[in-house]
Amino acid sequence: MNNPLWENISFKKKSELSDIMQILSNVPIFSDLDSKELSELEKIVYHRKYKKGEPIFRMGDPGLGMYIIVNGAVEIVEEPENGEIAKLAELGKGAFFGDLALLDEEPRSASAIAMVDSDIIGFFRPDLMDLVYRKPRMGIKILWALSRVVGERLRKTNEQLTNLQREMKAQRNE
Amino acid sequence: MNKVSVSPVSQASKTIWRIFLIILGMAFLFLIFPYIKMVLLMLVIAWLISVILNPLVDYLESIGFNRTLAILTIMAIILGGIIALIAGIIPALIKAVESISATLQSDLIKNLTIQLEQFFQEKFNNPDLARDLITKAEQIGSQLLVKVAGFLKNAGSYVAFVGIVPIITFFMIKDKRLFKRALIAQVPNRYFELFLNVLQKVDSQVTKYIQGQAIDALIVGLLSVIGLFIINLVFDNPVPYFVIIGMIAGVANLIPYLGPYVGAVPAIILTVLNNPANVGYIIFWIIVVFILVQLIDNNLVSPMVVSKSVNMHPITVVIAVVIGGNIAGVFGMLFAVPFWGIIKVTMREVSWGLRSYKLK
Repeated sequence: MNNPLWENISFKKKSELSDIMQILSNVPIFSDLDSKELSELEKIVYHRKYKKGEPIFRMGDPGLGMYIIVNGAVEIVEEPENGEIAKLAELGKGAFFGDLALLDEEPRSASAIAMVDSDIIGFFRPDLMDLVYRKPRMGIKILWALSRVVGERLRKTNEQLTNLQREMKAQRNE
Repeated sequence: MNKVSVSPVSQASKTIWRIFLIILGMAFLFLIFPYIKMVLLMLVIAWLISVILNPLVDYLESIGFNRTLAILTIMAIILGGIIALIAGIIPALIKAVESISATLQSDLIKNLTIQLEQFFQEKFNNPDLARDLITKAEQIGSQLLVKVAGFLKNAGSYVAFVGIVPIITFFMIKDKRLFKRALIAQVPNRYFELFLNVLQKVDSQVTKYIQGQAIDALIVGLLSVIGLFIINLVFDNPVPYFVIIGMIAGVANLIPYLGPYVGAVPAIILTVLNNPANVGYIIFWIIVVFILVQLIDNNLVSPMVVSKSVNMHPITVVIAVVIGGNIAGVFGMLFAVPFWGIIKVTMREVSWGLRSYKLK
């Protein structure tokens, strides 16, 4: 389209998005958002830099929101009061964690610690609530996708539980 | 697991350095306070207006308005209303002050003097005492009226103030999230979630409190105007400037316990000065109106619109109002209680945050 009037309001293709928007668009929770909504989202997320070994949040802290790794790596560890530290997962570029905190303020079930110097984006519950009120269409898209992610996890957990029960039953019969 | 190792000595010196900088900053603020007092007042007023208007802007945004357009629309409507109100009120206020001034110099005072002289003659055999008292009261009254009239007639000099506040308000609403992000960007990672969570909780409670107070003041003002209007209908206009009195009652309602008197007293004084027939009976009904307004406010309006999170003891209210009055006059008295409410909420949430987050 060569008309200068329309050039500025043409819709951006995914390849034309900024780096942050590109990363956000690959997170399942934001996968339904169009480029305009991603640009709106970019305005309300927090971009933070963490040094190697620096905690992003600690187990037991009130949950506030989710994080997405732009660059670097993060380990998720269990830090019981008087127990051994147990590594639960290692996450790399593009991965996200802490998303359940978008739903309530329940204490974090594990700690997240930067394994190397990392660039991380934070998206928090108050901003999501604000978005639901100010831009209900966009807020509903995020909540819908979040429900999908939580539903998918529940389905997988159910499958694992069923498999485990089946295995236990088989072992008892042997 | 890797941990960021910081030696205790460097940590301690950092803390000392930070405390020193904070004290230095506070001392600097204290020094320059007289020069920035006006700017601070403008910022506080603009912030209060932005908090009150923000839900309306958010609502317009939710139905598809562009945020800037939403702010401009609401501000244009309010500015239009204020200009119309000022156009009607300022001349009426000047007229009111002049008419009270004229009444004070009229026969009313002479009659009152004669009656008082007789009273003092009968009771204490000293009529001069009454004359002295009246002269003193007259002097104080005139000085006060001259001050009020001067303030009203110099309203033009406040144009800069009135012109700048809407501009600051506009940007406070438009770029609210930008300011928040800029502030949070300065917070170290260690305190990031704690700060964000506490800030959000304080913001939410303070916003609800201020919006509730604004709605409460509006309803109390309206109810007072309606009550006084009915008295005027029934008794042939004994209460002059009842709209202004109602508005004062609404704003004064920001001061718990003391506010209702601030509304009732001017209504009674103006009625006495108006000197209608059966004045005692009318004063009785004015008091009834203000008691009714307070009953409706305390039992119906206030529980619904004003947040309970900043409830405070009457003694705290009186102390806050006195301190506020000493610092910033009438403005200080009006905003002392909301300001103390903000401090209370902030302290409670910071304490919650420090207890809930592991900062090691």
